[in-house]
Amino acid sequence: MSKLLEKMSTAILEGEAEKMPNLVKKALAEGTSAKEVLENGLLVGMQEVGVRFRAGDMFVPEVLMSAEAMQAAMVVLRPELAASGHKQIGKVVLGTVKGDLHDIGKNLVGMMCEGAGFEVVDIGFNVEPENFIEAIKNHQPEVIGMSAMLTTTMRAMGHTIKAIEEAGLRDRVKIMVGGAPVDAEFAKRIGADGYGSNAPAGAELAQKFVGAA
Amino acid sequence: MRTNYVANAGVRFNVFSQDQLEEMFNGVLHLLMYTGLDVKHEEARDILAKAGAWVDGERVRLPSYMVKDALRKAPRSFTLWARDGNPKHNIHIGPGRAHFGPGPTCTHFIDPETLERRPYTKADVPLVARLVDALPNIDFCESLGTVGDVHFDLGALYEFAGMFPNTSKPIVAWSYDKYDSAGIHEIAVAEAGGQRAFEQRPNYVHYCEPLSPLVSTFEAIDKLIFAATHRVPLVFTPCPIAGGTAPITGAGIITMGAAESWMGLTLAQTLQPGLPFFMGGVFSAMDMNTMILAYGAPELPLYMAGLTELAHYAGLPLWQTGGCTDSKTFDGQAMIEGAMSVFFSALTSGDLCHDVGYTESAMTGSLFQLCAMDEAIGYSRRIIRGIEVDDDTLAVDVINKVGPNNHYLRQPHTRKYYKSEYFYPKLLDRQDFENWESSGSLTMKQRTVARVRDVLATHKPSQVKPETMQVIEKVLAEAEDRVKDKK
Repeated sequence: MSKLLEKMSTAILEGEAEKMPNLVKKALAEGTSAKEVLENGLLVGMQEVGVRFRAGDMFVPEVLMSAEAMQAAMVVLRPELAASGHKQIGKVVLGTVKGDLHDIGKNLVGMMCEGAGFEVVDIGFNVEPENFIEAIKNHQPEVIGMSAMLTTTMRAMGHTIKAIEEAGLRDRVKIMVGGAPVDAEFAKRIGADGYGSNAPAGAELAQKFVGAA
Repeated sequence: MRTNYVANAGVRFNVFSQDQLEEMFNGVLHLLMYTGLDVKHEEARDILAKAGAWVDGERVRLPSYMVKDALRKAPRSFTLWARDGNPKHNIHIGPGRAHFGPGPTCTHFIDPETLERRPYTKADVPLVARLVDALPNIDFCESLGTVGDVHFDLGALYEFAGMFPNTSKPIVAWSYDKYDSAGIHEIAVAEAGGQRAFEQRPNYVHYCEPLSPLVSTFEAIDKLIFAATHRVPLVFTPCPIAGGTAPITGAGIITMGAAESWMGLTLAQTLQPGLPFFMGGVFSAMDMNTMILAYGAPELPLYMAGLTELAHYAGLPLWQTGGCTDSKTFDGQAMIEGAMSVFFSALTSGDLCHDVGYTESAMTGSLFQLCAMDEAIGYSRRIIRGIEVDDDTLAVDVINKVGPNNHYLRQPHTRKYYKSEYFYPKLLDRQDFENWESSGSLTMKQRTVARVRDVLATHKPSQVKPETMQVIEKVLAEAEDRVKDKK
């Protein structure tokens, strides 16, 4: 049994998405619980991906392959997890702020967050502050992720945070920001809780916010 | 399939036109025929006279057919072999291939621990060889220093004895005289498994340096004769200084310096037809203020590029120069001068580019300059590799598939190429400010120092045969005995 979990984490590391559904099915069929598959198989692989990426031994295209493998596994595993009453490590709402149509970076963060075990709600790009507020009310996420690509639109992050404060919801979420012109200093200035300089860093930050890393 | 379609496999670059090369080539022949050189070696003069040279006292003039005959005999393409058979450490000399390595004989060294300048010692030799062995863009080994803490006559021998067991990359060995040369050769032959095995797979190159202007010194010729008769590939490298020991103009220094090399070539090919022969060497400007030979001047890479083209026009490989600096320390000047000459050298595909790691105008060897230049060479090699154009690299289908407002990070095409298409730096920093700061705000110098120390602490080169170690000890003991009464 543990050999199968090991195979699974290796396949995640190697980014072998096509192998994942069968590996997960086989493990479940052998009686391994969905929770165990997730925690002792899949997430072990993703954690190693993070370690190697930070050390410069893995690069973004490989990290994405691993995230895709994770997604492929989760398609099979998610119903089982839900049936067993297992909760994912948290929920992240992601959006590109008002006035900004760039969503590539945000999508990558989403993939990485899913890979790290989050449920991800993507509310798209050019998102009005009101829509962020609505998403907090509807989805009750632990983490909000905002993205901006331009120096002209990064201000909208500050406006959005202010709107969340005014709506009285600021204490209910941790807010992380990212995007090409953004840095840690800016994040602090607008009252965000953290800044991720790239997609894996964003997912890592989200994990920290929910006490999972 | 295409018809009459011409592709550039790398970046194109040249200094001279075909007409200019022809003019310079014939200029060298003219110089050798009418001016000639002083050859300060009686046996060599006799050999050359017998082969057709015109000898008057010490002056030797070569009719141009002799030089052309020598050029015809010398190979353009051959292999220098790793002593341990590691194919990654072999050097294939041939068109379009640039290789890099340190230089010899600096009197001083930057101490790897204290980072201070001090005399070069015997203990430094293995450090240089091990770093050379580990660095991916350094292809051959020289020692970056003259061993100062042994008998004056034995520096070169101790140097080779220290390098040979500590790298399996081919070594370029200088020597004071033919006794050194014989000792060095004995060690290399022991490892190769005999003279015949060595001749088929030479694991080192012999280095001789004639004198500018226009003198073939006794020692240079004596060592050349040893190398040629033992079939050791040869570097024959003058070091003319524009405005000092050579004409101040680029065309003048190149023509004169080439003539100095080709006197050696003619003698070597007369003695040993087909001997691998590199013409050299270090062609640069005399600084008209300080009178130093400038190792960081732009004239050095420019003259060396011109000389490389002449060598290749004549069908010879070249002993190039680059990666060196006049700076006294690891600073912006050292990086500009070193990187520019390395890049130029890579563009010319000069066959063995030496002096990588020289600082202070060749007075001080530096492992840190060497390591930083390893990065500059990798960078340069990426550029000269050029841009491949075919259906797959044009990516028309991929562009069509991805379309507008999407990204390429998840494309199989990206995954297929991202490793081979890019240069991945080991020392150059591309982090964002926060990550750079949180990882210690390290400068290029600090990162280079750390990498050198890490390699020295961890890298283990392949070992020589036990019997070779015995030969090394025997050769050193015999040499000590030979000089024991000499001051």
